[in-house]
Amino acid sequence: MTTTPLRGAGTHVDTWPPVWVLGAAHVLAGTSGGRLDLSAHRETHGLPRRRDRDELVRDAQAVRLVGRGGAAFPVATKLAGVPVGSRTHVLVNGSEGEPASHKDRTLMRLAPHLVLDGALAVARALETRRVTVAVGDAASYWSLRNALDERPDGDGVRVASHRHGFVGGEIRAVARAMSGDVARPPGRRVLPTVHGVDGRPTFASNVETFAQLAVLLGRGVDAFASVGDPDEPGTTLLTLIGDVDHPGVVEVPTGLPLSAVVGERVGPLLVGGYHGTWIAGPGDLVLSRPALRTAGAPLNAGVLARLPHDTCALGEVAAVSRWLAGESAAQCGPCFFGLPSMADSVGRLCAGEDVRSDIARRVGLLPGRGACAHPDGSAAFVRSALAAMPDEVDAHLRNRGCGRPVRRALPVGVRAA
Amino acid sequence: MRLEIDWTRCDGHGLCARLLPERIGLDDAGFPVLGDRMVEGDDLTHARRAVSACPRLALRLERAPTPAPR
Ligand code: SF4
Ligand code: SF4
Repeated sequence: MTTTPLRGAGTHVDTWPPVWVLGAAHVLAGTSGGRLDLSAHRETHGLPRRRDRDELVRDAQAVRLVGRGGAAFPVATKLAGVPVGSRTHVLVNGSEGEPASHKDRTLMRLAPHLVLDGALAVARALETRRVTVAVGDAASYWSLRNALDERPDGDGVRVASHRHGFVGGEIRAVARAMSGDVARPPGRRVLPTVHGVDGRPTFASNVETFAQLAVLLGRGVDAFASVGDPDEPGTTLLTLIGDVDHPGVVEVPTGLPLSAVVGERVGPLLVGGYHGTWIAGPGDLVLSRPALRTAGAPLNAGVLARLPHDTCALGEVAAVSRWLAGESAAQCGPCFFGLPSMADSVGRLCAGEDVRSDIARRVGLLPGRGACAHPDGSAAFVRSALAAMPDEVDAHLRNRGCGRPVRRALPVGVRAA
Repeated sequence: MRLEIDWTRCDGHGLCARLLPERIGLDDAGFPVLGDRMVEGDDLTHARRAVSACPRLALRLERAPTPAPR
């Protein structure tokens, strides 16, 4: 397998994140020299095939494409559930509110036309012109705006700035904000496919989902599925953090052994980011969303992290749980009160207090008790961390700490306004 | 029917827990903790009473749970 370092993530050539391709490049194809303008993009990807809704559903079904934002919902099912017509909206979620994840930003900076091809192809299939792209950072915003100026078919596309943190980046919160309302998940179980942007039916998905759709329409089903695991063919984008072989943003074919992606070193591995799951190590797990879900460690938005040995692992977990508590949108009591108390308890455990049963009780009270999955995801993060790090917990209980400083290997952002 | 709470509305005064103690407990901060959410038969009368007593219209009885695509 070849590892191609890609340089030049947009204008920030030598800053985080480094961008890598392991094996076949699909969504990052052609980007080794930096951002693809329209002619470079067409040279690399060609023109996407035209598809009506039913054909697009069939294609998405044929490659078992699932949403790349977190929930991993089948794209074909979602597409089939949206009415065709000019009232329907297409919403591209590029807000990427998780500070550990950089893949969507990277994609929008390097391959903006691929994302737009995907969004416009879905709009065409749904016979609408209403397309909104919500982005959370300036470089992505300008990359997309410049891309729209370059193309003849970009008139109807709205690029909107959306900086509302982790929970505000949840698709229903984004749909609400794009309708002029607050960027918070609604309290009732509303589906964007029924009641999305401006109260209209909306096909909403993550930036990478649209880019993958564009690859599918550019190359066709067979070429798309010529790499990867039969369960989830093609490639996926990951953000790799910490003590791993290729820290940064990586495109890999699905189906690789997880150990080949993160390297063979020992130490607990975080799968799926800050709403994700710590596991003891990659073991013989394989990189595919269905397989990882079955293993109890869903890939979510594709963040994988292993802590370096010189940082206090429990302190890192405590820092992230404090950050998660601060990200609560403060609408739901059990989340607003429960997350800070869980974070406090993790802090006390770090300081050597045996509050394990208290943590277990608080963690158990979170799932299912909020308008969004933030309490559930945060609880999973903490519960699995303590289970995957028994030696760290022991060290802290015995010696009031492990002697290592907290190096902030797990990035936490400043709470967005 | 299934008991649901709109957590963005619930203010945690706990009236529901007093009216339906066999189904609803309270956490440290006074917010309801639902036990068995599925309600049928005779229990429905009690559950409906709690639902209509909720001052914030947060407690509801809903038909089938629909998994939400996001
Ligand atoms: S569960 Fe928490 S994060 Fe989600 S909407 Fe409610 S308060 Fe906000
Ligand atoms: S009665 Fe309504 S508002 Fe009060 S705690 Fe119960 S659900 Fe919440």
